[in-house]
Amino acid sequence: MNKNDALILQSAELSPQAAQWSRTFDYLIIVVGAFLVWSVTYISQLLLAGDWDFFIDWKDRQYWVLITPTVTIMMAAGFQAIFWKLFRLPIGATASLLLFLVGVWIVRYHSWYGMAYFPLSLVIPGTCLMSAIALDAILVLSRSWLITGMIGATLYGLLFYPSNWVAIAGYFQPVEHMGSMASVADMIGYIYPRSGTPEYIRIIERGTLRTFADHAIWVSAFFSGFVCVFSYYIFWFIGSFACNPKFVAVGTRFKSAFGGSGKPAAAGESA
Amino acid sequence: MRRLVNRWLVCLFTASGLFTASSLLTASGLVAAFVPLPVAAHGERATEPYIRTRTVHWYDVTWSSGSIAANDEITVAGKFRLFSDWPDAASLPDLVFLSNGSPGAVLTRVESYISGIPARQSARGLKTGKDYTFKLVMKGRVPGKWHLHPVLNVHGAGAIVGPGAWVEVTGKQSDYKEPLTTMTGVKIDDLQTYGVARAQMWHFGYGVLALLWLLWWLRRPLIIPRWLVTQKGREDLLITSTDDKVAAALLVTVLLVVIIGYKQTVEEFPNVVPLQAGFVKVPVPPNVPEAASIEVKNAEYDVPGRSLRMDVVITNNTDRPIRVGEFMTAQLRFINKDLPAAVESIDPSFPKDLLAGAGLKVGSDSPIAPGESRSTTLDATDAAWEVERLVSFLSNVDSRVGGLVFFYNDQGERHMSEISGAVVPVFTQLGSKVSTKAPEILNARVD
Ligand SMILES: [Cu+2]
Repeated sequence: MNKNDALILQSAELSPQAAQWSRTFDYLIIVVGAFLVWSVTYISQLLLAGDWDFFIDWKDRQYWVLITPTVTIMMAAGFQAIFWKLFRLPIGATASLLLFLVGVWIVRYHSWYGMAYFPLSLVIPGTCLMSAIALDAILVLSRSWLITGMIGATLYGLLFYPSNWVAIAGYFQPVEHMGSMASVADMIGYIYPRSGTPEYIRIIERGTLRTFADHAIWVSAFFSGFVCVFSYYIFWFIGSFACNPKFVAVGTRFKSAFGGSGKPAAAGESA
Repeated sequence: MRRLVNRWLVCLFTASGLFTASSLLTASGLVAAFVPLPVAAHGERATEPYIRTRTVHWYDVTWSSGSIAANDEITVAGKFRLFSDWPDAASLPDLVFLSNGSPGAVLTRVESYISGIPARQSARGLKTGKDYTFKLVMKGRVPGKWHLHPVLNVHGAGAIVGPGAWVEVTGKQSDYKEPLTTMTGVKIDDLQTYGVARAQMWHFGYGVLALLWLLWWLRRPLIIPRWLVTQKGREDLLITSTDDKVAAALLVTVLLVVIIGYKQTVEEFPNVVPLQAGFVKVPVPPNVPEAASIEVKNAEYDVPGRSLRMDVVITNNTDRPIRVGEFMTAQLRFINKDLPAAVESIDPSFPKDLLAGAGLKVGSDSPIAPGESRSTTLDATDAAWEVERLVSFLSNVDSRVGGLVFFYNDQGERHMSEISGAVVPVFTQLGSKVSTKAPEILNARVD
């Protein structure tokens, strides 16, 4: 424990024994909190970004680059707001995305590879972890959700594509197959059949974005940064709202209906 | 204090347990959607009968082998007719994808064609009333006995599953390899593992950076002290100037890693292509005149007898006499066993469970002369109607039945016609209108 930690405990007016107890509480909370953050992030990602995150032949220049950061920043912002407002801990985004990445790899090995016979190359996940670390760092430096939303969320969207391209670029080398060109990713998607998933349900590069040709990806990345700003603010507010427990006053009749005594609690008596 | 801690913990453990359980359920549920059960009935009988009897009629389907070693190839080939009386409830086959029904990636695709056109991508421009050929070349990957079907996925109508045959894959899964050479000459040893270690290496590195950041904060007095200090407005104690420096250094590290990594990756892979999202166009096959036309006068499904009986009028438009050889619907083949040419048409690789035991009884089975219109009955009786779950047309809003009828002339040449019409369920013998006993009387009535 360094000097600063001692000052914190002193300012919190915790006795040495209480401080010890609170540290035990911390360890328990880290475990429980990690499960909460992990599962909430996981559900939101499954529901909102699903296939783009599952399969390598869905990772296109348009929707994958746009949708994945826009979705992951939701829970990142929500947890960032909760941890920051209640505890001044700038770890919400990093925790959310790190736990998500760990969870994703567990499910990739256990379910996709183990249960469904898919090769891992088909189910390489993307990650917004670098974006999330930057988002938390900017919150520390700015101490402001407004600035974090403007600069950090834009950066969040922008960093997603290059920080993933380093991992998956090899899947976009050209291959000739049956007389036409395909990417390695297309080939993996073709060779390993997903039952009940016809090729045409892939939602990749629709509309006029194709006219930007090689610049398409950066158009998407900037647009993604732009959308992330709104996504961030909305979920920052939802997170903030979750920090303010509200109580609805109920009458004695209501209390007695639920087994209470129906009498007002005497002063000093805890409910 | 201790009571507070306990109460908090109970709430949090319960909530986190619920969340984790539900997220795991969601995760495994989503995976399950891609993993059909590895048994015979992996969904082929679950499709509505109106889809199976009136959309894609697969015929002449052959399997090149019943048993292959891992890494060996098997070819499923044949034809399909897109039915003219396509049900209103299903989208027309404007956008299709030729696929295979097998449990996941136990067999892998090598090549696939519709009418000779490579079908790696989805295909546009298919028309009802036309015949198409298909070919699927697959490779064994996971040892086991797998039911292999051709499947035509029709956008808006779902997967329309063709006949399935058991294919055994022998050997070891490790025998299977998928090497590939890119157009730039890069040799990939095995697509199954290609790029995985690279992605994991980056993810691991990112993870370490994230973990260091988390530990930087988690090592200090956390929840209760920080909450109390926040309430007192002493933020200066919670985020120090050292924290600022660490955050700045971290931000610079993240930016440097991403920018330098990206630049190097772009140099490493100078030739990359986007995912190929186009559709292929399949040309419309020429019109083939129907050698014989069939008009359904009455059709009924005898519920206790498990029998489809039809009064039909067949007109021979060819210049040679013909006989009815086969009635086929929903992959079920009712063969006229009195006609050798029809019996000989059964490929040895065709699954026996899709051949109706009693075959097809043709009321007036003598050759139909050129130009003649013949009234006769067709009787397709088999428990397969129940087994294949084809009788829910009793509860369908559109009680129609459809199929293909194959004719053979005296030289053994085959002709094919579509048959379709309303079908009336019959629950007792009294309700029957179609008699299979006396075709002569029926002929008289129609004339
Ligand atoms: Cu099957």
